[in-house]
Parts: sequence; C-alpha cells; structure tokens
Amino acid sequence: MYGNSVFSPASPQAQAITHLSLVVGIVMLAILVLITFLVLYAVVRFRHRPGAPEPRQVFGNSRLEKTWTIGALVIVTFLFALTIRTMHHSDRTPSPGEKPNLIVIAHQWWWEVRYPQSGVVTANEIHIPVDKAWLVQLETADVIHDWWVPDLGRKIDAIPGHPNHFWLQADKPGTYSGSCAEYCGAGHAWMRIRVIAQPEAEFEAWEQRQLAIPAQPAAGDAQQGRELFGKLTCINCHSVAGTPAKGDIGPDLTHVASRETLAAGRLKDTPENLGEWISNPQAYKPGAHMPNFNFTPTQVHNLVAYLETLK
Amino acid sequence: MDAEAQTRFESWDNNKLAMTLFLLSEGTFFVFLIIAYVYYHSLSNTGVEAAKVLDPLKTGIYTIFLLSSSFTVWQSEKSLRRGKQRAFQTWLLVTIVLGAIFLFGQGSEYLHLYGENVTISRNIFGTSFFTLTGFHGLHVLLGLISLAVIFVLALTGEFAEKHSSAVEAIALYWHFVDWVWVVIFSVIYLWTLF
Amino acid sequence: MSDIPFPGAGEALPLTGPQEKSAGLLGWVSSVDHKKIGIMYLMAGLVFFGVGGIEALLMRIQLAVPMNSFLSPQTFDQIFTMHGTTMIFLVAMPVLTGLANYLVPLMIGASDVAFPRLNALGLWLLISGGLLLYFSFVAGGAPAAGWFNYAPLSEKAYSTTNGVDYYSLGLLITGIGSVTAGINLIVTIIKYRAPGLSIRRLPLFIWMVLITQFLIILALPALNASLVMLLIDRRLNAHFFEAVSGGSALLWQHYFWAFGHPEVYIVILPAFGIISEVIPVFSRKPIYGYEYVAGSTVAIGVLSFLVWAHHMFAVGLGHSIDSMFAISSLLIAVPTGVKIFNWIATMWNGSIRFKTPMLFATAFLVVFTIGGLSGVSLAIFPIDWQVTDTYYLVAHLHYVLFGGTIFGVFAGLYYWFPKMSGRMLSERLGKWHFWTTLIGFNMTFFVMHFLGLMGMPRRVYTYPNLPGWGAMNMISTIGAVIMGLSSLIFIWNVVVSNHSGELAGDNPWEAWSLEWATTSPPPEHNFDRIPPIRSRRPLWDLAHPENPDWKNGR
Repeated sequence: MYGNSVFSPASPQAQAITHLSLVVGIVMLAILVLITFLVLYAVVRFRHRPGAPEPRQVFGNSRLEKTWTIGALVIVTFLFALTIRTMHHSDRTPSPGEKPNLIVIAHQWWWEVRYPQSGVVTANEIHIPVDKAWLVQLETADVIHDWWVPDLGRKIDAIPGHPNHFWLQADKPGTYSGSCAEYCGAGHAWMRIRVIAQPEAEFEAWEQRQLAIPAQPAAGDAQQGRELFGKLTCINCHSVAGTPAKGDIGPDLTHVASRETLAAGRLKDTPENLGEWISNPQAYKPGAHMPNFNFTPTQVHNLVAYLETLK
Repeated sequence: MDAEAQTRFESWDNNKLAMTLFLLSEGTFFVFLIIAYVYYHSLSNTGVEAAKVLDPLKTGIYTIFLLSSSFTVWQSEKSLRRGKQRAFQTWLLVTIVLGAIFLFGQGSEYLHLYGENVTISRNIFGTSFFTLTGFHGLHVLLGLISLAVIFVLALTGEFAEKHSSAVEAIALYWHFVDWVWVVIFSVIYLWTLF
Repeated sequence: MSDIPFPGAGEALPLTGPQEKSAGLLGWVSSVDHKKIGIMYLMAGLVFFGVGGIEALLMRIQLAVPMNSFLSPQTFDQIFTMHGTTMIFLVAMPVLTGLANYLVPLMIGASDVAFPRLNALGLWLLISGGLLLYFSFVAGGAPAAGWFNYAPLSEKAYSTTNGVDYYSLGLLITGIGSVTAGINLIVTIIKYRAPGLSIRRLPLFIWMVLITQFLIILALPALNASLVMLLIDRRLNAHFFEAVSGGSALLWQHYFWAFGHPEVYIVILPAFGIISEVIPVFSRKPIYGYEYVAGSTVAIGVLSFLVWAHHMFAVGLGHSIDSMFAISSLLIAVPTGVKIFNWIATMWNGSIRFKTPMLFATAFLVVFTIGGLSGVSLAIFPIDWQVTDTYYLVAHLHYVLFGGTIFGVFAGLYYWFPKMSGRMLSERLGKWHFWTTLIGFNMTFFVMHFLGLMGMPRRVYTYPNLPGWGAMNMISTIGAVIMGLSSLIFIWNVVVSNHSGELAGDNPWEAWSLEWATTSPPPEHNFDRIPPIRSRRPLWDLAHPENPDWKNGR
C-alpha cells in the first residue's frame, strides 16, 4: 500500500500480523454489517405507523439468549486460537543463550545503536543485512519509549530497569521507517526510526566504513570547525571516534555526514540542514536537550565544514 | 415470592452499611500499598534493610496495645446497648488511651529510624515502609479523633438511648484500623524473622 | 408484598431545616436536595465538556496539516493531557453521577438519597478538584505527561513544573468525591426502595448504576494509591517509580490500569442503563431479556477487574501473561455483545417513534459496536502490537467513549430533560444536533483507524508529510469543527427550551418507571403518592389493567 503501514509487511513477523489482521478484519466487518443491517431493518420496518396499537409485549426467549451467547463464545474462542498462532510466528521467544545482534538504547529524543559483534556505534539510522533474523535488545536511558517500525513487526516498549527483546528482520533491501510510539515528552513527535536493510556485502561494507576513524582535518574551515567543536562544549555531549570527544548525552557523531537524516528524522542530512540545525535546534525540535548556542554564521560554517568530514 | 427475595443487606442499618462500604474501599487502598511493599521486598530486596533496622518485639508490644483497644471498644458498645452509660464512657476512654499509646509507639519508632538515617527518600525500603505505616497511622489518628468526638458527645448525654448506629459505625472503623494493622505488622515486621 | 423495611425516622441524618422553595444562587449552592445536586453535576460536566472540546479543537487545528506550527509541542502536550483528564474525570463521571443522583431516588420511589449532606460534599469535591486541576495552567503549567501519566516521565526529573502535582491533588479530591457518591447511591438503592420494588424489579438504569458504584468504590482506591505514591516520589524525593533507585516504572502502569480499566466500565455501564430505558419506551415494548441484560452487567463488572494488562501488551510482560489477558479481554466482549442483541430484539416488532432520545440510542447501537469491535481486535494482542499507541487506538477509545458514553448521555438528557425542567427540548433543534453530531463524529474519528494502520503514532504534536496523512488529518479536523458546531446547537436547545419550551406534563413519553409518576419537575419531596408496584413497569400496569406485566409473570 503506502509503505510504512500494517499492510505492507516486509518481514515474516510483520507478515504474520498482517495476515491475522485481515482475517480478524473480515470477521469484525461481518459482525458490523450484521448489526448495522439489523438496526437499519428495524428502523425501517418497525417504525410507528399512526394509529397503530401498542405492539405485542414480549419479554424474551431463553433459547435465543443461549444461542447468541454461545455463538459469541465460539467466535472469541476461534479468535483466541488465531491469536496464539500469530503470537508464535510474529514474536518468537529467544532461547536463554541467544545473544543480541543489536542493542538499541532509547533517549529523549534519539536512538543510540550499538552492534556488539562488530563494535559499531551509531545513532537513529540502523543498517541490517537482508533476510537475517536479528535479536535486538531494547533499553532506555531515561523515560519509557517504544520501538515501532510497522513494515517490520510489532512494537515494544523500552522501559527503565526492564530490557526487552524483539526480532528485526527484512525480506528485501529497502528503507523502512518507524517512530517512537510511547509519549516521552516534548520531542516525541520527532523520534523517528530509519532501518536500512542491505544485501550482505553492502552491509559489511557499511560496517567497515562505520568502524573507520575519520581523518582529522589538517587545515581550512574544517580544521577551524574541529577546534570550535572542542572549545564550544560540543564534546561535552557528543562523541567522535579518534578524538577527545567522548560525550554520551547526545548522539555519536563519528559518521554523522553519512546518514540520511538528522535529529532522528527531523531533517534531511545535508550540509545546509546541518547548519540550520546547529544554528537553532529549538526551532526544529522544540524541547530538544541541545540548546541554542547562538553561534555566529562563521562559526556555523566552520562547524559544518568539520562535521561534513565525518562521513 | 418477591417479598422473600429481600437481600440480607436490607436489614442493615444505613450508617453501618455506609461504613462497611467505605471500609471495603479503604481496605482496597491498603491492599495496593501492601502489594507495593511486598513487590519491592521481592524486586529490590528491602527485607534485608527491614531486618536490620526494625524491632518486631518492640512494635509487637505496641501492637498488643492497639489490638486490646479493639476489645475495649467492643466492651464499650456492649455497655451502651445495656444502658450502662458510665461503663460505655469508661471503656471508650480506655480505647482512646490505648490507641494513643500505639501512635506514640509509632512516633517514637519513626524518630529512631530518622536518627539512623532511614528516611522515606533514602531508598525504596524507606519509601514503601513509611508510606504504608504512615497511612495506617493517619487512619489511626482519624479514628482517635472520631472516638474522641463520640466521647465528648457521650458526656453531653447524646447517647442516652441504648442504640446508636453512629457509635457502632465508628467502632466498626476502629476494628478495621486494628485488623489492617495485623496484616501490615505481619508483612513488614514478622516477615523480617524469616 | 410490603415487607421491605423502610428506614426508620431516626435513621438517616435529618435535612437541615424546613425545605422551602428557594430560588437564587444561595439556594442552589447550599442545597442538599438530590435533584438540585444532580443538575449541578450536569452543569459542571457541561462546562468542562466545553473546555475539553475547545482543547480538542485546538489540537485538531494544529494537526490539520503536516508540520504545522500553531501550537508548540510543550503547549500541545499540556492540552492533550488536560483534554483526556477533563473528559474522563470532569465530564463523563460528573454527568453520569449527576443523572444517577437525579434519577435514583425518583426511580425507586424515594424522597432523597440516604445521606443528602454527603451528596452535596461529593459535588463540591468534584468542582474543587476540577478547579484545582485547571489552576495548574496559571501556576507554572498544566500537567503534560498524558492522562495516564506514566512514570518516570511524570517524575520530577522529567516533569519539572508543578503540573503533575496539580493533577495528582485534583484527582485525589475528585476521587474522594466519587467514592462518597458511590457509597451514598449503594445505600440508597439497597435501603430506600418503595414497597414492592424488589431488586429483581429494579429499572435497568438503576441496576447499571448500582454495579457501577461498586466498581467505583473498588477501583478508585487503586488510583488514589498511585497518586499518593507519585506525590510522595515527587515531593518527598521517594523512589516508588524510579528504576535506578530500586523502584519500578511498571508498577505505576499496573496500578493505574487496575483503576483505569474498571474506570472505562464505570463510564459506560450507566450509558448502557440509559439505552436500556430509552429503547423500550420508544419501541413501546419491554426490554428484551431483562435477566440477561442485568446478569451480563454483573459479569462485566467482575471481568472488568481482570483485563487491565491489555493496556500493557506492548510492555513485554511475556507471552503467558499476554495470553491470559487476551482471554479475559475477549471474554468481556461476550456479555457486551449479548446486550446489543437484546437491545435490537427490543426494537424488533416494536412500534418505534424516532424522537431525539431514540435517534441517539439507535445510533449508539452501531457506533458503540464499531468501538466494541475495534476493542476486540485490540484484545488480539499481535494486532495490538501494531496498532496500540497509534491513532487506531484513539479511534477505538473515542468510538466507545463518545459513541458509547456521550451518545448515551445525549439520549438520556433529551429523555429526562422534560422531567427535570418541565419543558420539552425542541425536536427540531434536537434533530439538527443529532445529525451534525453523527456526521461530525464519524468524520473526525473514522479516518483515525486508517491513520493508525498507516503508521501515525498518538500524542504527536505534528507529523511528517507522508502520503495520505495530511488529507486524513484534514478530514478529521473538519469533522471536529462540525462536532463543535453541533455542541453549540445543543447548548442553544437547552437554553431556549428551558426558557420557553413546550410544557411537558408528567409523562410526555408514556414511559413506565416511577419517575414519570410525579410532576415535571417533581416537588421537593418527589412523590405525593406512589403507585402500586407489582412488576418492573408500574405505570404500564396502571395504564393497561387488561394486560399488566404481573399477569405475564413479570
């Protein structure tokens, strides 16, 4: 359909739920049509005709009551059976020894992403190899958030003190978008998720690029930018591999210029937008924990030049 | 046929019926605070600290005072029903004194704990302990005030007739406060012995 | 037949002083008469309905187009929190309490409730709690953590203004008021019924109110406990809901929904009761399957305490727990379905007059069914795993709460307004109100099912320009504007009709329960004389001596 919906499943987990939704949808629709028909029929057929006497006073019928009660019980039993079946297909319980392939830590209002096997650390944009069922461990650094990518499967909460697990898998390469789905404060609307599924070889190439440490710019605006990055307190919140910047309050920026979006989906990742964002984060994401530093245009220009080297 | 289909509750007095419903509601409130205490006992091991800082024996003695006051308030009711105004008032006064002793005991325990730096904000044990016992203490205090009001009214001759549903309702409340304490005492103090 | 004991003269607390006909503000404000108190509850509910409606319109304006900047997220978040809190606690509950207050003594042949002064206390606690909650807007900011106020977002670290404290205190106050009203109504119904009115002959509205009051006195304590625990966390630096200090964010959810789920039945059961009064009268037949409608209500009452974690399917409680709550949530659909069938069967072979009460009651059947069916789909938790916390859920909750509770309330208001005021509401304006409400409501909320399925989460102050999202949100906003206009029509109807509506007489609908056996409005003491009660429909028996219900074994 439109993509990014319950009806464009791109994983076996999502497929199971979509299938269930269609069956349940048909059953619900049938019941609704029946009820609506009965009501409309009654409205038309049993309307008061002027002069008509009081109708026959009927008090009930046990047999009828038992019939429709049992009918309803049969329907819900059937629905419960479907529920259990889909539960298994859409949300396999991991075995005790299974280790996560991915650790996602939700923050107000961005996603910290760690690849325990390779050591990659990134933010907001998650690359996975196509057709592999990955076990994801979901945590939060602050309040309750919720992971939801409709094309790929169920949503699940990130709860302090209660790590959760879910399966992340995509049948075909593509970009799958989702969002935080548990109100978590002012930036909730802009805590979007981007999952990019790639063929194995491309994924590994991406991992390698993510592990590479960007070279320090030696001269020019980018070098000025790097110095500002240190002096203007960026390093207090952000980290860049291979530099003294080891802040963990905001997203890791080591490869920020390689991503497709900024600020968890708020802006496309272009040099111009990068400049717009650092000039006034509050204008784009009111309430974001990154304040407006009131940089001068020159400072912004140099910072962007530096950040653009972090590919 | 329908005449016999009265519910049992229809023969209950208004005030006692209302008080019973109120106690059902308050009881539920306490259940939730008790469940929280038990939950944290399991989740965060609050039993360890409980065993360290609480004194079941001392609190047990104060508990005996409180539970005795259930007996004395019952005696007070019985006396009223028999028309013995003097006995009614005396038993009532004893009830108030016993309840006050219990509250005094609670208060001194709180002071002792604060002295040991066990506070409501120190950790989850402090939080759940003080909340549960605190709300119980508050209910005891409100009960004492109600009993005192009854006592003063009794002195003015308000309860000259042998039957007063107001007295019975307040007594019911007092029994409730005592027996909720039995549960709380077991869950918080007796549990430390295991 | 007259063995049911009347309370003795000395039992209830006496009313203060002789009750003369007091008009004027002081007369109303100091009243302990259940009829005046009931009307004041209704007026308070109506005022808050307007406020909550304005909050809704503000949100819909902000959401009409993608990337809108009419409201900042901080403002939007306060508004959606206050909208939900207002509609549940300051509209639905007061309006239903008001109707119950007004009608219970009248429908059981009593002259007032068991504890008239306690009754007044409940009203003023509601008003105080509501005002305290709204005071937050001018005292640093309204609460902005959502109407169910999840921890740790609601803790001081993340909700830094005093808004959440106003929320907690305000709701503690209104909650105490609700419990006092609950106790009052239970004692009244058990003890003050007129001779002959056995429990099995109770009007269904009274049955539903009775069971609702039990739900209230048992569910509100869960909320009260949660709120005091939160206040203690916030104000005394305690740790109930702080995971880092050994507390538990999950415990808030369990406790809140232990209240929150029975709460939604608290606001729907009385509406079911209204429907059970209106449909028979306008179909000119008795309710079909009285015992099943009453019995299914008891089943719903009990089950309502066993389904709470269906609000937590996305939490990761584990498949076993999820499955248990799916079973109970699917089961609770059955008694509800039974009622729908009985209401339709009541209409069947009737002689239906479509006055405004019946318009709303009939529409209720379809609109509430839509909400009920989306509810069943949510009980099927793999589906819930996709659509919970999205606009699909917003659609569901509004179909049951507006389509259910509010449509039921409108049916009841049109039905009983004549009794309360002595005048009929205008049928012409009523029909306008009905159709604009029906159209506006469905326009606003039906598209939300699709928005949720297409990925739009709830509680977002804006959204990206994804295909279809803008168009559907615009449709929804237009629907909301229509709903706003329909409410104005209703208010106009009430004002105009109260002033110069057609005189109603004792029983304009030719109905059969006891409230119609006295004048409109009733005298202070309600009844000069009570008709003999030998069945569920005393006035039918009087009007049809050739075919009374008690001859048909009823």
